[in-house]
Amino acid sequence: MKKITIDHLARVEGNGGITAIIDGKVVTDVKFNIFEGPRLIERLTVGRTPEEDVSIAPRICAICTVSHKNAVLRGMENALSVIVPPKVGLARELMHMGEMIESHSLHVYYLALPDYVGFPNAIAMASKFAFEVKIALEMKEYGNHIMKVLSGRYIHGENPVIGGFGKYPTKEELLWIKSRAIQFMPFVYKTVSLFCELNYPDCPEDDTLYACCEPGNDAYGFWGDEILLSTGEKIFRDDYKKLTNEFIVPHSYAKRSRYNGKPYSVGALARVNNLGERLEGEAGEWYKKYFNDRWKKNPLFHNAAQALEILCCFEKIPKLVDEMLQLPEDPPIVKHSAKEGKGTGLVEAPRGLLIHHYEINDGLVEHADIITPTAQNAEEIERYCHIAAQKLLDEGQENEIRDRLDLVVRAFDPCISCSAHLADVKKAPQENWKEKLAKIKSEGTPIFVGVGNPNRSDDALGIDLAQRLREEGVRHVWLEAELREKALPFKNQNNYPTIFLDAIDFQEEPGRIILLPLEFVFRKVSLSHRFAPFIHAFQNNEQLKNAYILGIQPESVKEGRSISPAVRGALNKILEYLKN
Amino acid sequence: MSQEKLKIGIYELTGCAGDALLILDCEKELLDIFNAADIQSFLMAKSDNIDGELDVALVEGSVTTEKEIEELKDIRKRAKLVVAIGLCATVGGIQARFLDPKEWRDNYKNVYGDVNMTHVKAIQSKPIDEYIEVDYYLPGCPIGKEQFLNFFTRFLRGNPPEKTQNPVCVSCKYNENDCLLKNGIFCLGPVTADGCGSICINHNLPCIGCWGPLDVANRTAEFYLLKEKGYSVDEIKKKMANYAGTKIAEFFEEFGKEKR
Repeated sequence: MKKITIDHLARVEGNGGITAIIDGKVVTDVKFNIFEGPRLIERLTVGRTPEEDVSIAPRICAICTVSHKNAVLRGMENALSVIVPPKVGLARELMHMGEMIESHSLHVYYLALPDYVGFPNAIAMASKFAFEVKIALEMKEYGNHIMKVLSGRYIHGENPVIGGFGKYPTKEELLWIKSRAIQFMPFVYKTVSLFCELNYPDCPEDDTLYACCEPGNDAYGFWGDEILLSTGEKIFRDDYKKLTNEFIVPHSYAKRSRYNGKPYSVGALARVNNLGERLEGEAGEWYKKYFNDRWKKNPLFHNAAQALEILCCFEKIPKLVDEMLQLPEDPPIVKHSAKEGKGTGLVEAPRGLLIHHYEINDGLVEHADIITPTAQNAEEIERYCHIAAQKLLDEGQENEIRDRLDLVVRAFDPCISCSAHLADVKKAPQENWKEKLAKIKSEGTPIFVGVGNPNRSDDALGIDLAQRLREEGVRHVWLEAELREKALPFKNQNNYPTIFLDAIDFQEEPGRIILLPLEFVFRKVSLSHRFAPFIHAFQNNEQLKNAYILGIQPESVKEGRSISPAVRGALNKILEYLKN
Repeated sequence: MSQEKLKIGIYELTGCAGDALLILDCEKELLDIFNAADIQSFLMAKSDNIDGELDVALVEGSVTTEKEIEELKDIRKRAKLVVAIGLCATVGGIQARFLDPKEWRDNYKNVYGDVNMTHVKAIQSKPIDEYIEVDYYLPGCPIGKEQFLNFFTRFLRGNPPEKTQNPVCVSCKYNENDCLLKNGIFCLGPVTADGCGSICINHNLPCIGCWGPLDVANRTAEFYLLKEKGYSVDEIKKKMANYAGTKIAEFFEEFGKEKR
């Protein structure tokens, strides 16, 4: 077996890696590892005042510092029933757009584009794309400048506080921001056409569930009080756990999220998919020109979506400035007297939905829950890497896997420091099926189903193995022929794992044993036909997730009734193992 | 000039990546930085990174996994000089606040439960000088642009960086702000290392201490002053500890004895 490893993902924010395990012609496992150590930020906010936490919580991540600031402020203000005057909202929105421009321009030009034009980094890219590199830097600097003016500093600015701002920008500062936005427009249009017309590889394509904030008022925006799913469902802010269902996996300090058992995507592409119809002005025109079905299922289009959002922000900034200038009075900080309450703040960070939840008692924070976009995307990153790796393997482009996985991960614009570097392709070790089988067995008594054609030499192995397991007194063993109408003959209430025994051609030497989740075969067409009829027998996704194939590489599946010595040896190995 | 360029590596341990990001935020100067020095490793900015001999290693972030201890020791072996950049590397960061190992374990368990992590083993957060010798410190949460460029250009010319010797109050006076403490507002300016240019007070907001403790500061006087202004011992201790990492432990210990 082979392993492709990218230990440190370069050009992403933070410390993580991707490992893909390849067994012959099957990608058996993909893991998005996060080496960033745990910082227990949520616990650091406990026992502190809401004011202290407004400064502590955003330090979770420098890259989305403004998003974290807006999220913690919205959460605290909801908890303490603070209502801020309109000018505060406008100033926060302007600050947020500064971060969107800064983060998106950094990502599309500096982190993503070098992959598509064949350079190791943006600095090297400058030899051929000197103009783009220079103006993109100016654009990023402009975004930074907005954040600095509004929040007080480039990173971790302390000017925004509960109830308002320590100090508002002057009229001159605001007018400068407006005039620069107008000057950037030609380059902004260039950015949209560049990234919407890039040739995005089609290797990672699949149906995707998207989630983002519902900004309300039929507008495109970066926060709201509800979560909107691409299915049309809406979830109120305090019910966010219905969406996220955080759980922990042993290979990452970033928690994971699933909605109804299904991973979902957040980020610029989720927003454009869910809210794109609402884009106005030039952004609306460009959306209509470029948006198509591939945007709905290919994460690489994140870069195109980010470019559209850059345009959206540049169009909106002059309007925001005008609105602020019509409100000449700088409102004082809204005081609050509440000492207790619960509140949730929903914000769209550049890389997706960000949730901050706080529970305050006796003036101190008692409980905090922060769910970052990368934590929500982690499952999707693994899923798409798996799809891409399998597709490339099927097409005989194994050498491309490493670079393409880098591309997929990077498209999600993962910000690992806040969720907790990139790809690694490995051959699985020879005997790792034993380890996996032991783990499955430790979680419940498995049900074995022997599958195959007894008249096609090695294809009989599944049936043969099942019969011999029965003879050895192993319980819960079934044969394919015994299954009426291909339904599983048991009420699998306890979610016992189901293990199919079968010959699997994964192009390894005959007799090699493999154990992989049933789900994976659906990503490899040549394997899936046999199992398709069983799918409906699983009552829910959890059961399906708990199904596996224990397979042996056959030597031959020609007509005949003899099993080859290599396969016979493997059968004995499995039998020996299961007996004990 | 035939002189060879300085070989520099920029490394990130656990933190918010703000200090490395701030270096990227030097937009106008960034291309010059890459031209003036040989940046051998900078994960956030490039993919062709080399782990070789270095003249200077800039290390951001605190040590929170066993793997990071190994990485850090390897960096020390390869680099002639190691510079800690940012609050996390210099004092352990906000995440180094759980000074007592039991308190840290309880909090760790509260977040991650009993799941046995397979990839790296987590340890209590510590500044990098707990494991290796550090030549220079650039404090700040995050570091400042001017502070970094000042350090970088001095270094290129072979001069050591200047240590922060003043509290935030010095900048605050230059900026002609009214003293917040005098008005009874909880401000940590007198005990905090300067470098930010008293940014919060310039915005009518008190200093929260994010550049970390200034070693020559009179913390005891600040403590009693705040108490006199009506703040509780618990509140003063908590706010002093927020951005002081492990470097405040000694003060609290000494202070505790004094009180008895």
